[in-house]
Amino acid sequence: MRVASLALVAWMVRAALAPGGRRAAARMTASGALADSLRAWTLDARAESLHVTLDATPTRGARAWLAALARAGAVVRWSARGLAPLAVAREDASDPAGGGRVLVAGPTGRVVHLRDAAGMLDSVRLASGAWEVRAPALVGRVVATLGASEAVAAPGDSLAGRAVVVLGRAGWEGKFVVAALEERGWPVAARLVVAPGVSVAQGSLALDTARVAAVVALDTSAARDAARIARFVREGGGVVLAGDAARAPALARLAAGRVGERVRAASLSLAGADPRRALGFWSIGPLAPDAVPLESRDGRVAAAARRLGAGRVVQVGYDETWRWRLGGDAGAPEAHRAWWAGVVASAAYRASVPRAAAAADRAEADPAPFAATVSAIGAPTTPPPSPAVPTLPRGLEWWMLALLFLLLAGEWLSRRARGAP
Amino acid sequence: MSAFTFATAQYESGDWDSAPLVPANIIDSIARYTSIDVAPTGVVVPLASPDLARHPFVFLTGHLPVRFTAAERAQLRRLVDRGGMLFVDDHNHDIDGAFHRTATEEIRRAIGPLAELPNTHPLYSAFFTFPDGPPNTTQELNGWGDNLLHRHLLAVERDGRIAVLYSNKDYSSEWGYHPENKRFQSVDNTRFAVNIIVYALTR
Repeated sequence: MRVASLALVAWMVRAALAPGGRRAAARMTASGALADSLRAWTLDARAESLHVTLDATPTRGARAWLAALARAGAVVRWSARGLAPLAVAREDASDPAGGGRVLVAGPTGRVVHLRDAAGMLDSVRLASGAWEVRAPALVGRVVATLGASEAVAAPGDSLAGRAVVVLGRAGWEGKFVVAALEERGWPVAARLVVAPGVSVAQGSLALDTARVAAVVALDTSAARDAARIARFVREGGGVVLAGDAARAPALARLAAGRVGERVRAASLSLAGADPRRALGFWSIGPLAPDAVPLESRDGRVAAAARRLGAGRVVQVGYDETWRWRLGGDAGAPEAHRAWWAGVVASAAYRASVPRAAAAADRAEADPAPFAATVSAIGAPTTPPPSPAVPTLPRGLEWWMLALLFLLLAGEWLSRRARGAP
Repeated sequence: MSAFTFATAQYESGDWDSAPLVPANIIDSIARYTSIDVAPTGVVVPLASPDLARHPFVFLTGHLPVRFTAAERAQLRRLVDRGGMLFVDDHNHDIDGAFHRTATEEIRRAIGPLAELPNTHPLYSAFFTFPDGPPNTTQELNGWGDNLLHRHLLAVERDGRIAVLYSNKDYSSEWGYHPENKRFQSVDNTRFAVNIIVYALTR
């Protein structure tokens, strides 16, 4: 009994001092039981460090719980088993036709499935770790799924409709740009110069972000409004400088770059995969220091953009896009509309109207759960090895102590009964 | 930006080239009254050719019966569907003549039925103002001695704009002279042509 008592004491001392003992790592997974595991672990006064092995995306609540434990002094570590870093963002287009783009980032080469409230949107292979999907309509939340990983982007507030003002000389480009924007759903005001002092005008040409989203200057005839346009863009409005409009010194101050040489069409066919190769354009360059190129052909920039004040300027060198609409394949009119809508939307003033459901959507959004977990409790680590000494089940230590006393008492009684000292 | 080029439609049937002086006269008027960038000479474009898509405004005239081929009909429909405009003038000025009956039927088959254009339409104030609608021609008033006055033009409208403008006022005869001879007129009778071109370029 003395040997048994000493062995029991030694075992308990080791269990108390070993890392897997009183300061043991609690191991738990996130297979739907993370909240229960966290609750049990939090109530366990013995554990001071925790390692969580995640095999599914942790909820925002679970992340907050782990972060709270870490801030309360517990050592919280985690590792991912089959969980990939994944992020998704949704950007609604400032376009009356609706739609927008979904940006997704994740491990290179993996396939991500995208869906919204209306159903499947697309499946994309992340060739370079990120991808952009343009959708004609986005309904509710956008969910990206990669294996067990899931990221959720919430819809933003509704975008308020504004008008577009088109300024230029009477010609086919002006006529068909106005037509394309109107067919897309934009309210369009226009002034097309027909003769000195004579214009064909429709709608109000007042430039005010309360009413107008963007101005399209098709040529240098818009220079007489340069001061108004400059004030409008600095207040947050959008400006599209098309063709050689920026050749006018007053508009050049707003431009993303200087109007360069004329670039001829690189193709005779407007029906191919890249119909704009069959259009000539005014090259843009050199660019302003804060400008970014948006589209290039054979080393010449055809479209560029910059921020100016609170607004944006998009410069496109094309001045004969009407040829695309009339001479392209069956889808050319729609493609022409979509292209112009995209150009205007990328510059347009975005006024939002709060949606009643937006708060609920935002509460459920989790656009980058992996990154949020890293932000909350640090980068993932490798899982710790299984403890060599098993931890004592809770309550068992009292039975062990009682057993120890019994052994010691038995040993003392035995000695007394034998008359030993 | 490309200049406006006046295009005359060449079609298989009839006499498409019956008014060869009209393009130069209209080009002269556009250059004379407006700042629109206009090509100094017109072009002739086969109605059945895909090249029709290079010319969103096309002028068609003739005296004789018209029968479009399937290709001509298809190209014309494509042009109008994409926002182009066709201006047809009956080089006769009679009522229910051969050109009128066949051309209006072909337009109906290719694009849609013609309807009377109100004389308050924006076409009549697109540049010059014509408060009484389409200006009369000398042929209507006394040229043939029949005093047949056509009070309205006809049109097919798409989305609130004129897609096909049809006249049987015989502007082809009215405007068919050398531009230098405008100096002999107290009022330039091609001014309405400027309205048509300005309308086509801006609506």
